Amino acid sequence: MHKIAQVTLENEMDLILAHKRTMKLAELAGLSLSAQTTFATAVSEVSRSILESGKSGSLLLNVDTGQGENYIVASLTNERSAGGKEKEGLEYAKRLVNKLNVSTQGSVTQVELFYFISPPFRLDGNKLNEWRMLFRNEPPISPYEELKRKNEQLQALSENLQKSEAQYKTLTNSLPLIIFSLNNEGFILYANEWLARYTGQTIESLNKNNWKTVVHEDDYDAFSLILKNDIAKGASVIKMQSRLKNKSGEYYWHQISLSPFKNDKDELLYWIGFIVDIHAQKVVEETLKDNYELKQARQKLEDNEQTLKKYIEELNRSNQELQQFAFVASHDLQEPVRKVLYYSDHLLDRYSDSLDGKAQDYLKIMSSSSHRMRNLIKDLLLFSQVSKEKIQFDQVDLNEVAKEVCADLDLVIADKKAVLNMEVLPVIHGDIGMMRQLFGNIIGNSLKYSKIDTPPVIGITCAIRDSYVEIAFKDNGIGFDEKYLSQMFTLFQRLHGRDSYEGTGLGLAICRKIVDLHQGRIWAEAKEGQGAVFYVSLPAGLQ
Amino acid sequence: MVSSIILLVDDDADDRDVLDDALQEMNVPVTMGFAEDGIQALDKLGEWHKDGQLPCLIVLDLNMPKMSGIETLKNLKSDERFKTIPTIIYSTSINPREKDKCILLGAYSFITKPISTKEIKETANTLVNICNPTK
Repeated sequence: MHKIAQVTLENEMDLILAHKRTMKLAELAGLSLSAQTTFATAVSEVSRSILESGKSGSLLLNVDTGQGENYIVASLTNERSAGGKEKEGLEYAKRLVNKLNVSTQGSVTQVELFYFISPPFRLDGNKLNEWRMLFRNEPPISPYEELKRKNEQLQALSENLQKSEAQYKTLTNSLPLIIFSLNNEGFILYANEWLARYTGQTIESLNKNNWKTVVHEDDYDAFSLILKNDIAKGASVIKMQSRLKNKSGEYYWHQISLSPFKNDKDELLYWIGFIVDIHAQKVVEETLKDNYELKQARQKLEDNEQTLKKYIEELNRSNQELQQFAFVASHDLQEPVRKVLYYSDHLLDRYSDSLDGKAQDYLKIMSSSSHRMRNLIKDLLLFSQVSKEKIQFDQVDLNEVAKEVCADLDLVIADKKAVLNMEVLPVIHGDIGMMRQLFGNIIGNSLKYSKIDTPPVIGITCAIRDSYVEIAFKDNGIGFDEKYLSQMFTLFQRLHGRDSYEGTGLGLAICRKIVDLHQGRIWAEAKEGQGAVFYVSLPAGLQ
Repeated sequence: MVSSIILLVDDDADDRDVLDDALQEMNVPVTMGFAEDGIQALDKLGEWHKDGQLPCLIVLDLNMPKMSGIETLKNLKSDERFKTIPTIIYSTSINPREKDKCILLGAYSFITKPISTKEIKETANTLVNICNPTK
């Protein structure tokens, strides 16, 4: 028995991984899609029954080459539970596989599911090693690692909090602002150095004379409302303007701002306030007050701003509607196209005797057009799903993204004997699904537009420029004339005839949209016949 | 008692016919029962349960009126009578996020709706494999 891959079964997320890996191994072993699905169904069933019996377990994916017959074997182990609940799972699974072994050792039960690999499929040590590497390169999805990472993030956060608290005091003193807090009786509890520096008075003396020596007498009535307990209980932020005397005896206009500080139960603890010098602004305002022309101009400016805002809103709305339309249209179009495809194939398959050569040709053209339409719709759907509303930001390890993309493309890579050289890539702030698509499209293009007689060599390198990560994808393919560069990233632009290269002309447009949504940039350099380099520059984000 | 009946839940009559034809052509003792949406499916399963004849497999379309495939799946897996019946998703297209969601809700696997006679045969074959104890 040769071990190929493993999945620990600890929570429901592991069921996804178990299904994915089982399908993959069955695919690698050359099983038909039908056999893949059957085998994965059996594994899913036993895995689920292990989790539902409340125990954790593990799934080992093996290949058995003993006794001249080859099998893929899923070996599921769990701590035996009290009830016989897992038997329910076995009842169905038994019918799905060629052979099923159950063995018990101590408190551990092992279920082995065998699925026959057809003889023409050749297996050797090299192939098994290749498979192992393929699974090893998949990113780990253990919940423990996830927890550990979250924990570390929390710890970093709490350290940052402590630091920011220490900085707080220094900050309030270094800001050119008077910052203070008042209790319910209107007495100052705390004030930073700027209060004394401006007024030349201590907290004690201001509390004693209720600020009378500082606030201008014309402004004092309004100001005293703040100090008396007259502030409405529900008030949120109180703002007022008042002249305050500095230590040289001159009055300057200030804006005074007060906000209530409440506890969890919405009870007022005290007031926090700041005072800022607005003298210059006040002087300008007074001057403007009498200037009719300027007033008019300002009104016009405001009107224009309003109109602009309305246009932007309208644009956003129609943009969203278009997006929605593209999604619904492409989603619902898939259904009829599938039927056209199915029935034209059915006609060719079943009724070719009653169709003459011409009719068969027409049907074939119809079928290949429908195939193209289906691909277009699929890509259009992908394009419409790359949107601001769908984006989910997270920490994304681009190394894992690249590995996953290579695993998806492994058949093409093997077929073209392609070589991929990759530098260590950073972790960025982005949407993991969109990053997979971006890498997949660019690497996929390099594989597709390779020279017929030269195996593709693709180099992925990375450089940090300012606060951006710049990733370069360099290939030795057929390249292109740079005069087409500006068109290449727009919708439905193709440089090559459909007969030489398949494609919908949406791949790079999707890339561009993804990069735009991440506030990055995508561009390329190339020469006809001499390979191409695609560059993607993304904000480095949180490291 | 587990019967040799597959319950196909799909609102599209063409798709039901095509799969039923393919199954009949295989000439195996597996038959197909139908429901046009989730509500019909749950009603039918309730009746079958009373008769002591549960299907060996439920094949579930996602995009259906009245009760979607996802809703139906939730209802199936929270009902003690039906939760152990293997359920497979049968849909034209399914994106990865939807796929993960279905597995978490208790689906065992996926089959993409066929676009050729070869694929429909393969699909029928898969369903029979899962349902019929030939091994």
